[in-house]
Amino acid sequence: MTPVIAMAAARYRYPETDHDALGPVDLAIGPGEWVGVVGPTNAGKSTLCYVIIGLAPQFFGGRLRGEVSVFGSPTASQPVNERSRRAGLLFQNPFTQLSGARERVDEEVAFGPEAHGLPQAEVEERVAEALRLTGLQDLRARHPLDLSGGQLQRLALAALLAMRPELLLLDEPTSQLDPAGSRALFDVLRGLHAAGTTIVMVEHRLEAVAAMCPRVIALGEGRLLADGAPAEVFNRPEVQASAGIPAFARLAALVGKGPPLPVTFESAVEALRG
Amino acid sequence: MAEIVLRSVCFDYSSAVPVFREPGITLALPQAAIALIGENGAGKTTLTKLLNGLLRPRTGSVVVAGTPVAERSVAQMAPVIGYAFQNPDDQLFERTVRDEVAFGPRVMGRPRETVQAAVDRALDLCGLAGQASTHPHDLVLAERKWVTIASALAADPPVVVLDEPTLGQDWAGRERLRALVRALGGQGRLVLVVTHDIDFVAQACDWTVVLTRGLVRYSGRTALAFADEGRMEEAGLELPAGTRLARALGADPAPVGDEAFAAWYRVRPA
Repeated sequence: MTPVIAMAAARYRYPETDHDALGPVDLAIGPGEWVGVVGPTNAGKSTLCYVIIGLAPQFFGGRLRGEVSVFGSPTASQPVNERSRRAGLLFQNPFTQLSGARERVDEEVAFGPEAHGLPQAEVEERVAEALRLTGLQDLRARHPLDLSGGQLQRLALAALLAMRPELLLLDEPTSQLDPAGSRALFDVLRGLHAAGTTIVMVEHRLEAVAAMCPRVIALGEGRLLADGAPAEVFNRPEVQASAGIPAFARLAALVGKGPPLPVTFESAVEALRG
Repeated sequence: MAEIVLRSVCFDYSSAVPVFREPGITLALPQAAIALIGENGAGKTTLTKLLNGLLRPRTGSVVVAGTPVAERSVAQMAPVIGYAFQNPDDQLFERTVRDEVAFGPRVMGRPRETVQAAVDRALDLCGLAGQASTHPHDLVLAERKWVTIASALAADPPVVVLDEPTLGQDWAGRERLRALVRALGGQGRLVLVVTHDIDFVAQACDWTVVLTRGLVRYSGRTALAFADEGRMEEAGLELPAGTRLARALGADPAPVGDEAFAAWYRVRPA
């Protein structure tokens, strides 16, 4: 099967810098996969998202070498707005995502589908669905700038979901959400995953990655440090030294369990019961 | 003596959206590392902005480190309370990290050598010593966040507010932050940390305030904050990882924080 994302010896350098922020990276992500991306600050996690969505280099400038294809088309030759029908990126800072042109939450959510010329009835259906999934129905008439940080992050996600993307890239989607909001977001992602959406999720909360993502890639200084199942990746010393260690693994280590350390709540309960 | 005292504080952004209703918020906080937790939209950031006069209460009074906030301008509050905003881009405007961090103590008219030393110390504490001459906007979000924290510390205020400091922080940054918050609390300052990171609260903060829909539901020792599951659920909060794990292993009451967890596990009943 054609991978959704295919990268071969891909390297990217921002303008006016003297080193590659990413790469060389070889990576294939198949349809319906849910991949967690972990690593320290400046490891290249956001850059990986920008390269996949094509903002690097199309928006940021700089130089991309090697091959990057999304849905079988090289990103270099396809305009970002054409890809935005099929792939969406949730930015780390939700302020970045606002159109700035709309004065109501529901109008902001409608912005993408309207810009792509969908019929009004379908726009309305998609907006209603996106607001429901993100729990924003009661705030639909608010001005986007009157929202709290967490509400704004949910709005940014709603605007993306209204596009019904086949590939969803999420750069720290829960950073401003409260625990209930995080749980709700992860429920939405589980639903999208079950429906076949391909998801790439940058996340510092390693417990969440370990609990949900069947596959994890760890980045360090722009390169792939590890790629595999969470239980394997989070037990690698070089990953622990850079990306850190999930909370339950930390607690298990604290009382002398492992290696291998349990990385999820359930496996930690099991390991510590004995 | 309490370092922060709020009495019957009511506030709304507009009459349609009241944040703190009658009879208002009444709260006294000690010199310690204090977590302010609660669901999105609970009023956490609003509460902190009432402490330095960025917002003014409709009724009630706010006293910070002995200073009645109502009688002071935001600038006059700056030596008393350092503030790191949730979104660093709302705050940063100088051309280098050093100038940004020096801004506060400089406009307070402190002597150059004092400013220099304070800035060096703040940069060092925040892991920014190597980036003093970098433009703040050339830094990634987690680093810009550290610039705002260094700026909050540079004037050496008795009260420091950090709004969502763990946002975007990697593991190493989080560890640095934990050490910093503990150290500030131990120095007899009041450091108020607004956060959703419950595990961080358990590891770094002695005192916890739970805010739900504009009401203070709990203010007291962190170790006891997580005892009432109903209250936590109402506030949309989860338990710290160690507390959750110990509970699943039969602990009642369950320990809060890593040291308490390890101590409990060592002597747990078979």
